[in-house]
Amino acid sequence: MSFNLRLIPLLPFLGAAILILFGRKWKRDTVLVVAAGAIACSAIVVFDAVFTALPAAGAGGLTDVVGTWFAAGPLKIDLAFRLDGLSSVLCLIITFIGFLIHIYSSGYMEHDPDFPRFFAYLNLFCGSMLVLVLGDNLPVMFIGWEGVGLCSYLLIGFWYQTTANADAGKKAFITNRIGDFGFLIGMFLLFQYTGTLNFQEITAAAAPGGALMQPLWLGQPIAFWAALFLFIGATGKSAQIPLYVWLPDAMAGPTPVSALIHAATMVTAGVYMVTRLHALYLLSPAVMAIVAIIGALTALFAAIIGFAQNDFKKVLAYSTVSQLGFMFAAVGTGNWDAGIFHLFTHAFFKAGLFLCAGSVMHAMSGSGDITIMGGLRKKIPWTHGVFVVCWLAICGVPFFSGFFSKDSIVSGAFGTEVFGEQLAWVGKLVGVILLLAATGTAFYMSRLYFLVFSGKETRAPHDVRHHIHESPGSMVGPLVVLAIGAALGGFIGIPGGMFDNPQWNWLAEHLAPVVGPEMEVAKSIEFGFMSVSTVLALVGIGVAYVFYGGGYREPARKFAAAMPGFVRLVQDKFRIDELYAFLIIRPLRKLAQVVFLVVDRILIDKVLVEGVGAVVDVFGRIVRGFQVGDGQRYMAVFAIGVAAMVYFATRPTMPSNLAVNVNGTAVDVDARRSGNTSERPQEYSFDFNDDGRPEVTGSEPSAHHDYGKPGTYTIRVDVRDPRWGTHSSVKREVHVPEGVR
Amino acid sequence: MSAGGASIGDQIVFWILAAFITFFAIFTMTRRNPVTAVMSLVATFFGLAGLYATLSAHFLAVLQVLVYAGAIMVLFIFVVMILNREEVAPLALRPLRVLGVLAAVYLFVKFIDVVSFDLPSTVPAPASDTFGTVAAVGEMLFREFLYPFEAISVLLLVSIVGGVVISRSHQKEVSAERAAEHRKQVQEMARHDYPEAAGPADEAHGHGGGH
Amino acid sequence: MPTSYYLVLSFALFLIGTSGVLLRRNALIVLMGIELQLNGGNLALLAFSRQLGDQKGQVLAFLIIALAAAEAAVGLAILVGLFRGRQTINLDEITLMKR
Repeated sequence: MSFNLRLIPLLPFLGAAILILFGRKWKRDTVLVVAAGAIACSAIVVFDAVFTALPAAGAGGLTDVVGTWFAAGPLKIDLAFRLDGLSSVLCLIITFIGFLIHIYSSGYMEHDPDFPRFFAYLNLFCGSMLVLVLGDNLPVMFIGWEGVGLCSYLLIGFWYQTTANADAGKKAFITNRIGDFGFLIGMFLLFQYTGTLNFQEITAAAAPGGALMQPLWLGQPIAFWAALFLFIGATGKSAQIPLYVWLPDAMAGPTPVSALIHAATMVTAGVYMVTRLHALYLLSPAVMAIVAIIGALTALFAAIIGFAQNDFKKVLAYSTVSQLGFMFAAVGTGNWDAGIFHLFTHAFFKAGLFLCAGSVMHAMSGSGDITIMGGLRKKIPWTHGVFVVCWLAICGVPFFSGFFSKDSIVSGAFGTEVFGEQLAWVGKLVGVILLLAATGTAFYMSRLYFLVFSGKETRAPHDVRHHIHESPGSMVGPLVVLAIGAALGGFIGIPGGMFDNPQWNWLAEHLAPVVGPEMEVAKSIEFGFMSVSTVLALVGIGVAYVFYGGGYREPARKFAAAMPGFVRLVQDKFRIDELYAFLIIRPLRKLAQVVFLVVDRILIDKVLVEGVGAVVDVFGRIVRGFQVGDGQRYMAVFAIGVAAMVYFATRPTMPSNLAVNVNGTAVDVDARRSGNTSERPQEYSFDFNDDGRPEVTGSEPSAHHDYGKPGTYTIRVDVRDPRWGTHSSVKREVHVPEGVR
Repeated sequence: MSAGGASIGDQIVFWILAAFITFFAIFTMTRRNPVTAVMSLVATFFGLAGLYATLSAHFLAVLQVLVYAGAIMVLFIFVVMILNREEVAPLALRPLRVLGVLAAVYLFVKFIDVVSFDLPSTVPAPASDTFGTVAAVGEMLFREFLYPFEAISVLLLVSIVGGVVISRSHQKEVSAERAAEHRKQVQEMARHDYPEAAGPADEAHGHGGGH
Repeated sequence: MPTSYYLVLSFALFLIGTSGVLLRRNALIVLMGIELQLNGGNLALLAFSRQLGDQKGQVLAFLIIALAAAEAAVGLAILVGLFRGRQTINLDEITLMKR
């Protein structure tokens, strides 16, 4: 069914354009109205579409084809949008949380001179993300993909005057780009072997016996490689191993940016993409295993790094990486509903956590160092309250949103059947790792809570301490809304198996037209894991309390003293950045230098530039020699020229390919040049076995000879022009077949 | 090559003259001393004159001796006397030029091929008595070839004048010019002093050296 | 004698003249080579004239002789003028062009 979906990304783009052109001259309030207004209008269109038009639409949801983007040979791409169950969830998140963050930013960025630019970029980001999510084919999604990458770069490096911020932006963009390369390869493979890039058509083509299952490289089918490369793109955008390294650095950007882009929306693009192409992924259990294992490992790895970080936002950054790992583990085990569910709940509680971070940093005069915080519970009560809600949600405390979503993932991992016989152990392994990661999550988030909010004293110096104050209403308002979402959001996706009532799982019902029915997990497994994860969450919180309740306590110090090396390694985030620098960046720098010296200096400067000059010089010299004014020389050249002309004009003409006719063991050869009727009389000599003694001579241009037995012979025909005395000759191989009479 | 139909006397004469001509031609081209070269060229021309006679070109045979051997070669001798200088290394065997000579030799060989193939080997019919006589040639000159004849006279005139102009020495030119100037001045003064006695305008007088 | 003999001789004369023109340095000798070439041409003309019984060839040969005279005169005049300036008639030394 057709709907005006183009408005949804268009309004934010318009907002961005207007703000870029005119924003600088306007007042803060006007800028906010334009920017937030654009998002709000977009949100209104989304709500209208989702809640009124979508239910009436058929299985394909709402579509909007703006026109043909380009058509080149067999490739025809339309600029087309589709709002179905899956994209609707994302659109709601983007517009709603985007709007909240716009409000928040008006307070947070109040004193910033680049206020209009910020909002322009925010709008641009929202527009791009909406394009990504609404795209009906891979290229349109890729436009959005690249667009959000660009906005991420612009926003991370928003305060570009500080080099470190600009570097962080660059790092994000470049790391993303590496992933994008994988995305492109995946796209190419899909187009090559299915002839289409449209999601619906790809889903249709992804049949078990179809074209995509043909083996491609290393014995693996096409689907394997396409899915794998697309997943590499996802690891870049969604910060999984090995391309997660940009996300912690991205904390250099303003906090609202971190909240919107690096928690709620952009980083989830990878999860969305995999879910969109679930049909493709289902064709290759191997790739799904890879996705799930990488997701789980990332979840655990990032959680461990989070244990020892001392910057508020860095903890949250690694937390995001970890939670994204959960999402990928979910989709990797075929649990599409759980992945999107966690994406939804995570958007709320992580955005909430980040905005709390902004609020805390605002109170702490801009510092995010948790080692000097503490006791903020009483001093910034609203922020504290929101933080508690979101904290409990992320730890998976029962009935908060995170509890339900995380639990779906874990039980889905244990109960999945998508891997088949051989790889069934993958599900169990993933489940175990996720449980460990969940425990870790509880631990480090609780550590964060205790070190920041608990205790009596704030460890900061005097002047900072006295400046602590709650954030203004524009910042607290969105915080509260997000907290409500974090608290209650879980109830949209209660697994149907729990209470034998599938209709309670609104989310799964909503997604079913796109991703298929909800994963069936036995009630026993569901309840079992709910209990287990609750216990683990409490364990995590408990250990954190022991270590950090009310501030740094003895057990924490003893532990740090006992294993200083390990602690430092974790603090240094396992030195992965350094590893990359050594393995990749240094060789690339060396290569760049070599290229510069060789290609630029030698090849371009010397060979091409000077070389061209030298060639011209040489030719000039040669040609100059023809005109020296030396009359004798001219005459010599003249004589040579005439002699050459005479030679070539008087050579007898012969066909380059002799006409040979094989008859049994005899051959007829004709050395006439077709079309040449006025011939001077010539002397022909035919040598049929190239032994120097011609068999036939005369003035006839054709001859006949019988070899007597089959074989391969070489015929040589010489012609002499008796008047001019010039020669010419032609050779030809002829094959006399046997057995022919 | 068979000399189909020529009498033995004709053949002997031809071969002797041909050898003579060829020998002296080569001799000319390979001499270091220009005087020797000129003299052998004269000998070549004498031989050629004889050959022309065998071709019933009597008038031309005489002309060859008179004009070519007589006048042109004398001219050469004069110049050789003025510029006599012996060469150190007569032949310039530069690769391009040698190649040119070889190309010409190749053409010669081809020419022999063609000529022996196409041209009949029979001797042409004996010519009439008036063929090649002064009267016959003269008549043709003044009838069909009048225009070229006159043109060639003009050409000779041009070459005379050109020769004089080119070989004039710069010193002499300058002095000739100065003399002309002087003469003009004298005339001016004369007219100025004696206006009635001035004759018809004689300005054309002094223009001979105006180059 | 058959015409072809005369023709071959004329070409030979021409050839000798050409080699002299190409290979000698002394300008005087070069001019003499040119005279030889002209004479070769004359001989060919006269041979054909005899074969065809047509006097036109002889008239043409006459004109060529006159032409050769004019040309020799002018050429020698140039040579004399050149000598006065350069004090040499060696063509290699006279040339102003490079190489």
